[in-house]
Amino acid sequence: MTEQGRRILLIDDEEVVLDSCLAILEDSEHHVVVASGGAEGLAIARERAPDLVFVDLKMPGISGMEVLEELSSQDPTIVSIVFTGFATVGSAVEAMKRGAYDFLPKPFTPDEFRAMVRRGLEQRDLVLERAALRREREALREGFAAIVSHELRSPLAAVQQNLFVSISELSDCISPDQRLRLERMSSRIEDLLGLVNRWLRGFTSDFTPLRESFRPLAISAVVASAVDAAETEAVRKAVEIVVEVDPQATVLGDEGALTEALLNVVGNAVKYSRADGIVTVSAAERSGGEVVISVADTGVGVPAEDLPHIFDCFYRGQTGQSGVSGAGIGLALTRRLVEAHGGSISATSEPGEGSVFMIALPAHGSPASELGGNLPSSSGKE
Amino acid sequence: MNQRKKVLIVDDDPDFVAGIKSILDTRYDTVVAHSPEDGWKALRSDKYDLLCLDIMMGRGAEGVMMARKIRKDEALREMPVLIITGLREQIAFLFPGQAVHPGFVPVDELVEKPVEPDLLLQKAEALIAAGEARQDR
Repeated sequence: MTEQGRRILLIDDEEVVLDSCLAILEDSEHHVVVASGGAEGLAIARERAPDLVFVDLKMPGISGMEVLEELSSQDPTIVSIVFTGFATVGSAVEAMKRGAYDFLPKPFTPDEFRAMVRRGLEQRDLVLERAALRREREALREGFAAIVSHELRSPLAAVQQNLFVSISELSDCISPDQRLRLERMSSRIEDLLGLVNRWLRGFTSDFTPLRESFRPLAISAVVASAVDAAETEAVRKAVEIVVEVDPQATVLGDEGALTEALLNVVGNAVKYSRADGIVTVSAAERSGGEVVISVADTGVGVPAEDLPHIFDCFYRGQTGQSGVSGAGIGLALTRRLVEAHGGSISATSEPGEGSVFMIALPAHGSPASELGGNLPSSSGKE
Repeated sequence: MNQRKKVLIVDDDPDFVAGIKSILDTRYDTVVAHSPEDGWKALRSDKYDLLCLDIMMGRGAEGVMMARKIRKDEALREMPVLIITGLREQIAFLFPGQAVHPGFVPVDELVEKPVEPDLLLQKAEALIAAGEARQDR
């Protein structure tokens, strides 16, 4: 599987070793270059970017160990293998600590050398592949904001914009039915735009700038807006939302962000409730300077095996309900938003009976909230 | 009745432009440019009461460059700009140090795509009025 024509560098002060290695590889399609010392070897390595390097450990001038270190700092994807003239385990282990992939005790047979070349080149392929995957992953992450905003949002925005204008321009000449259909199209596009936004935020957003907009907030206001936003769906599903909030409880935070965080939880509670279920949202300040918001439902519950993962991005329970849709973003986003406020979120559940989600936030005036509140000026804007 | 005000739209998405031009046409004379280059030509050849500018054009933020250049231009500095963006979050990173609003000058505003017809007209009217008030002073 290893392709032919790779660049191999041999560094050894013994001419006879270099000559025999060259002879062994003569029939291969690899490009083999030799150097009779560490300094020369490193110079060639810089120039030719080899795939595989064999280094003798014991050489005059720059030692094999130093060559190894220098090679891996030059290009950590270069695979290096050491020749050990005195086959002591100690020096081989030391060499491998400094980045050698393997060692070949001298004297070695042509077959042993060929086998080592093959192994080394296979390792080189793996290393290169891994590096490429890592780069790809980083590029994906970094490019995600740009890709999503342009490639996904732009067409949706264009469609929505034209629906807006069509609905208003056609208002005099379409039937109520036709109008309703257009409005439904518009509302589905709206949902999709919202999904793309949440997805993007869950993935890439840096929430540190959020701290700039932290201010003291009555938790009752946050609960009220979140419950209000979830109410339409609750009414549709005949689920009752009961609110029990201590009006004194105050936190330091961003109202929009906390509302969004809580809405995801309340929305889920409604979503996973059965008809005539009850969702109880309560909030109170606990001793120890914490404001705890709890959202309890009487719904289907979360299976024990899913519970540890529900705050992970894109996780959706395997045992999910039919007819319940989602992208596995909401709770992950909630956790990030809550953590940006110095808080934490946890959940307990009894399958078939219901779930309880608890969001704990530092109470306003507590040492933890002061810490959060003092950070904004130093948050990363270079 | 005053003469109709002139609005320039600079946005590289022709479908989106169709959706806002149709709204703005009800009250203003609207001209469209589909690239920052054409936008500059239009701005050089005529005087506009409002610029609707998409900030994410082409590869990256060419609209942002255009906005910055406008603010450095003697003749154009006072012109109100309505920034139209695909994504509000981008603003914070495009204009570091300025929380959400780019805040070039007080007469600038920002709307997100897509924009409700009423909201668009309301913002456009407010910006044009604010721009006029600045000139009268």
